[in-house]
Amino acid sequence: MAKFNLRDMKTFNYDRPPISKGYADQYLSIDISTGDISIKKVSKEMKKVFIGGKGFDLWLLWNAVKSETKWTDPENALCVASGPMGGTPSYPGSGKSIVTAISPTTGSVMDSNVGGYFGPYLKFSGFDALEIQGKTTHELVILIDGVDQKIQLIESSGLPEDAYELSALLTNHFANGKPRSISVVSAGPGAKNTLIGCLNFTWYDTKRKRTRYKQAGRGGMGTVFADKGIKAIVARWDSVTLSTNNPADKEALKKVSKQHSREIVELDPKQNEMAKIGTTHLVPIMNDFDLLPTHNFKYGQHPGANLIGRDVYQHLFDPGFDGCWMGCTVACSHGVKDFIPFTGPYKGQKVFVDGPEYETIAGCGSNIGVFDPFTIVEMNFYCDAYGLDTISVGTSIAFVMECFEMGLINQSHTGGLALHFGNRLAALELLHQMARGEGFGKIVGQGIRKMKTIFATNYGADVSILQDIGMEAKGLEFAEYVSKESLAQQGGFGLALKGPQHDEAWLIILDMVQNHMPTFEQKAEALHWFPMFRTWFSLCGLCKLPWNDIVPVDNKDTPEPAKVIKHVEWYAQYFSSVTGRQSTPDGLITMSEAVYNFQRIFNLKMGFGRREHDNIPYRAMGPVTVAEYESRQERYDGELMEKYKVDITDKPTEEKVAKLREFRQEQYEKLKDAVYKRRGWTQDGIPKVGTVKRLGINFPEVMEVLKAHGVE
Amino acid sequence: MISVDDKNHPWQESMTVSDLLKDLEDQYPYVVIRVNNKYISKPNFEKTLIPENAIVHLMPMIAGG
Repeated sequence: MAKFNLRDMKTFNYDRPPISKGYADQYLSIDISTGDISIKKVSKEMKKVFIGGKGFDLWLLWNAVKSETKWTDPENALCVASGPMGGTPSYPGSGKSIVTAISPTTGSVMDSNVGGYFGPYLKFSGFDALEIQGKTTHELVILIDGVDQKIQLIESSGLPEDAYELSALLTNHFANGKPRSISVVSAGPGAKNTLIGCLNFTWYDTKRKRTRYKQAGRGGMGTVFADKGIKAIVARWDSVTLSTNNPADKEALKKVSKQHSREIVELDPKQNEMAKIGTTHLVPIMNDFDLLPTHNFKYGQHPGANLIGRDVYQHLFDPGFDGCWMGCTVACSHGVKDFIPFTGPYKGQKVFVDGPEYETIAGCGSNIGVFDPFTIVEMNFYCDAYGLDTISVGTSIAFVMECFEMGLINQSHTGGLALHFGNRLAALELLHQMARGEGFGKIVGQGIRKMKTIFATNYGADVSILQDIGMEAKGLEFAEYVSKESLAQQGGFGLALKGPQHDEAWLIILDMVQNHMPTFEQKAEALHWFPMFRTWFSLCGLCKLPWNDIVPVDNKDTPEPAKVIKHVEWYAQYFSSVTGRQSTPDGLITMSEAVYNFQRIFNLKMGFGRREHDNIPYRAMGPVTVAEYESRQERYDGELMEKYKVDITDKPTEEKVAKLREFRQEQYEKLKDAVYKRRGWTQDGIPKVGTVKRLGINFPEVMEVLKAHGVE
Repeated sequence: MISVDDKNHPWQESMTVSDLLKDLEDQYPYVVIRVNNKYISKPNFEKTLIPENAIVHLMPMIAGG
């Protein structure tokens, strides 16, 4: 056990309010520069427009920052919230927290969605949201103790650096014999020394008697946390029942919870088996459809894919209940017990690894040419322990490996590392360097957007090829799906508010395989409703998996199977039964639309949020290189000849690559036009005045931002 | 005989996943089918044989990460 000291700097006692219809009706604001702690009211208007969760976070962040605020500025607010349904133990997937802040990699507003117990414990302790501003030079632990009704700012020293040991230690320290009553948020040394840091949110696994972790991975939220000087935030709460959230109609809640919960128990074993294998089933499926990113998204298939999918991980995962919130029947948060890393500070020691999920397998596996399941588990473990986002780590390493193989960088730049695809030891070494802030890993940890500038400016690398193969948009690294053959998914990535993350719109199968949306208008319609459904889950403190990963048997016979309307109806009932605010499936969309448009305008406030910011690298649209084209020549030749009526006889591949590029880029611009029109935005991608008025977000400060950008 | 979503269905020698879907006259555009706990994706429907006494589940949706 590490020797550590915790010194109470300030204790703030408060009276915990009763939860009413899913809300505490107040939020906690802490300025760690001054030590000021205040409790502020949540207004009826705030609940009406922003609902909760991500909506509350965005509103607090909007009021905290100015348009010129940088991510390192003290006023940058790290906000965490659950939502009105967050903390319901009987409804599957009801324990999510949403984190927002100005991002180190995008410079704009970022949101990241995470499991674990923190959000619900924060709310039951009396706070719908937490806002932290300021910075401190000493190590700070913040305790939010809903049991003893006190907030403590604690100066710490000697605590472990990494999240794996730190969270377990703090759980034990504050538990008073009840470790399940504790949830810890922490980052790690990687978060401190890179721009792609994640936050680890814990939950206590009573059967395995250990602290488990989920990550708010995207956009450097862990880096903001570490930059502020925060070591950890600890929430403490007692037992949770259906009544803890004090729902408006407990009987209705019981009924709808039971329906959804039972359906999952019955159907998950016959469908994706998420309770057994998580999301690892996606690896071979994506591979079969040429969608699994390999070698920096160059290809979508590899013979080694079966070595890193469901068939392997079902044997590696430790059997048992793996719900990241109480009573969740999806229970997909699996882990590997007694794993022994072969590199790094835990080399030779037995550890428990939380994961991997699909994104980590594809990012830290196939995309970097690694098809060894154990290396992926090790990458997963160290990313979590160091506080690094597995997606950004994977996509960034894939980028530097391709740069290395193309000769854009060499061993004199990489500190001697031969960064060939598949060099698993080099990938792990980069990861350890990122955590230490040393060597070439320090550069990789800046993320792809900054690396492109460094490689061009310092190493003389070709700017245009860096733009084509550097898989980032808005400054965020791409999530792990090949979008070349799905225009709708290109929009799903490129038009996503925070950058190319799949949690906003995942349309590949519907578009590319099932051809559900052949026209621009149909794609635009899908790029309207899908992000709205997904946004709604983040407003309410919910996980999206129960919506459409396990679906009713008769769903395929409904007019629009992709919407899983039976579940949407249940969600409307769920919302009404908790909040007492009657809702319908269409009502859920409208709630999301208000917050979604507000976030778009927030981007605009920060200097982004226009058409040009929705651009994506060409690698996301089509084949950049001759080798890529020729690997799928039949497909691309066919497209040129049949769709675009191009005579390709005797044309060299270079010419065909250029021609296809011209057409595909034009298609993407047309998609933008269609989506902007459907969303009620100008052709520059800015919400129109009529749109913001219809959605009730026409606050004076919002209208000022629009006016400053020529929209009035 | 095979089981398809918990219902009995006649089996034939050399029956592929594509044959089964034609038999079922189910118009839904399935992307993945589970045959004896193995996932079969659409590109492999025509070449994947269904063994006698197989337990088949028609996967209604693949929703992504």
